[in-house]
Amino acid sequence: MATQRTDPPLAASEVDTLRAYLAYHRDTMRRKTEGLDQAQLSQVHPPSTLTLGGLLKHAALNDDWWFCRVFEGRETEPDWVPAGAFDEDEDWELSSARDDSPAELRRIFDETAAAADAAIDRALAKDGLDTLSVTPSRREGTPFSLRWIILHMIEEYARHNGHADLLREAVDGQVGE
Amino acid sequence: MLRSFLDYYRATILRQTEGLDAVQLATPLPPTTMTLGGMLKHLTWVESWWFRRVLNGLPELAWVGDGFAADPDWEWTSAKDDTWELLVSRYREVVAECDAILDAALATPEGLDLLAQRPRHGSYASVRWILVHLLEEYARHAGHADLIREAIDGKTDV
Repeated sequence: MATQRTDPPLAASEVDTLRAYLAYHRDTMRRKTEGLDQAQLSQVHPPSTLTLGGLLKHAALNDDWWFCRVFEGRETEPDWVPAGAFDEDEDWELSSARDDSPAELRRIFDETAAAADAAIDRALAKDGLDTLSVTPSRREGTPFSLRWIILHMIEEYARHNGHADLLREAVDGQVGE
Repeated sequence: MLRSFLDYYRATILRQTEGLDAVQLATPLPPTTMTLGGMLKHLTWVESWWFRRVLNGLPELAWVGDGFAADPDWEWTSAKDDTWELLVSRYREVVAECDAILDAALATPEGLDLLAQRPRHGSYASVRWILVHLLEEYARHAGHADLIREAIDGKTDV
């Protein structure tokens, strides 16, 4: 059954609005990538080399990077990234997805999203959206607020869902928000 | 912060559409029928829709006329007849008006909690919702534009 998705509330607090949009775009990515087999998830739409499976794994890597590593300061790669994976291939998450089953990609995506949400819950219980990241910006040397990270992830997910829209239409003709 | 994210994407869409001729702006990446020219005109209309019409209850833009009467995707399909200069000048004009409307809305005591004048499915959206919605709408179209632009001239990360 297709993932159910909830429209964000039209008039709500800042934290409820931002979290609802983040959930909306994660669910959109689930919908854009479900019901397909491994070959379809590995299909490219030339000249772009992106794939729907690669987008799922890339989104998981981003959720892990921003919420678990930058925000909460965990120093190690997630357990689904083999040691040295990025030394050989800086786009490892995008290119390696073709070797993963649809169920495995979805497991990585769902578990990472849940871990990211748990990190958000812990921060909101303390200083809310003003909570600062443990890891500072490499460019500016200053930490990120949770507010900035969630907004960034909304636009990052939305942009990749734009890629997913065209990839999915090319795979089986399915379109829609 | 919300406004700076929105401005980032307004600049992104201009970068993704500039430096192309009329044929390139009207070139889709099949099977989608979207074009970069159509996208610029669509986002012009979308800005006007949310800020001018929904938030402030203003009438339709004069240059739209009865374009939608015969074609529900008029802003997408009619863009092939417009030059990039015209598309951009209308875009900049509408964005400037929308920014003025937003300035006024944020200057009210309600600020981001101010409600729109025109309902959506029977309820009223806040300025906060409109801003986050516009951001994600822009970002999603920028994702479409990424693939369309790459197919036109190979440019990526524009």
